[in-house]
Amino acid sequence: MAQVKLDAPAGVPKPMKRDKALFLIKFLGAVIVLYVIIALNPVNDRVIVPFTQRITEVSAGLLRALGQQADVDGTLIRTERFTVDVKNGCNGIEAIILLVAAIGAFPAPPLMRVGGIVAGAVLLQLINVIRIASLVWLGAHHPSVFQMFHVAIWQTLIILVSLVLFLIWSWKFAPLKRLATSP
Amino acid sequence: MRVPYDHLLAACAEPLVRIGERPAVTRLRAEGESIIVDRSDFGPRSKRPGIPAHDLTFNVILLSTLFAAERKTFSNRNVVGFLLAVMVLFFTHVFAFVASVKSIYALQLGRWSEVHYGPIARNFWAGSAHFYRLVGIYAIAFALWWLFRPDPETVALPRSAKRKRKK
Repeated sequence: MAQVKLDAPAGVPKPMKRDKALFLIKFLGAVIVLYVIIALNPVNDRVIVPFTQRITEVSAGLLRALGQQADVDGTLIRTERFTVDVKNGCNGIEAIILLVAAIGAFPAPPLMRVGGIVAGAVLLQLINVIRIASLVWLGAHHPSVFQMFHVAIWQTLIILVSLVLFLIWSWKFAPLKRLATSP
Repeated sequence: MRVPYDHLLAACAEPLVRIGERPAVTRLRAEGESIIVDRSDFGPRSKRPGIPAHDLTFNVILLSTLFAAERKTFSNRNVVGFLLAVMVLFFTHVFAFVASVKSIYALQLGRWSEVHYGPIARNFWAGSAHFYRLVGIYAIAFALWWLFRPDPETVALPRSAKRKRKK
């Protein structure tokens, strides 16, 4: 197999190593900054915890809509057989942080960034509600596989969704806009 | 794979945890699904804390998935990029493990922690371990894939195409 370097389509900026490195520096920097912001006690108490409670309520609502009995107490979802406490790491904030950091680090017009972040965050939270509801159901009916789904499968899946959303956004929307704005 | 990997992780993290210890008292050993944190100055009857190694290393699944999703999964560039990324990932696992051990020392050993770790050190180690577990574990996997994946405009051509090009 021989490696052949193809020319990039006309008008599309050729990815360069410097751009790659710059993106990574911005991305990792943004991840650290966003983490520090959500780790601050006032932000955690006034934003993250109430947000997690809303996510918990919606997840319990989904379970009830599917015929399962589920009670909510703060960030706890209680069923007859199983109780889940939705904590940081299960509220989808980590996936949103990655999405925001990646979109923020990628060169694109501000409006495209805001659109990508808002649409991506809503989609991620919809999937996260399904994740929480399915984990409660698995814990109640198939406890032997709960840990595997909790740690390995769902966690990886939701992060993958976040990264795929970023890649789709960067391929489909950001380059088009960049082309349109290029002289 | 997991058991030898945990042993390797413990063996590499132990000397790093011991930096600054006078005398060097920390012993790390892989046992079951956890790496046990032992110290020669712990009481013989006191419980030894354990860190589930899988919680710190499962981002290899994310990294593998990202490389596997490349259009030419088994191309030389993709395989070499994946192997390089896994090598770097191993070092991040070692540092994540060191941060986890230090956060146990800084926060979970009661009065001993307060005496040996000041407020800045406690916040630093606790913050580092929490950052890694919450978001760093994924950010690192994504960053390594981004760094080591083949360039999108570089494709592998079959030998026949190579010959044609030479003509």
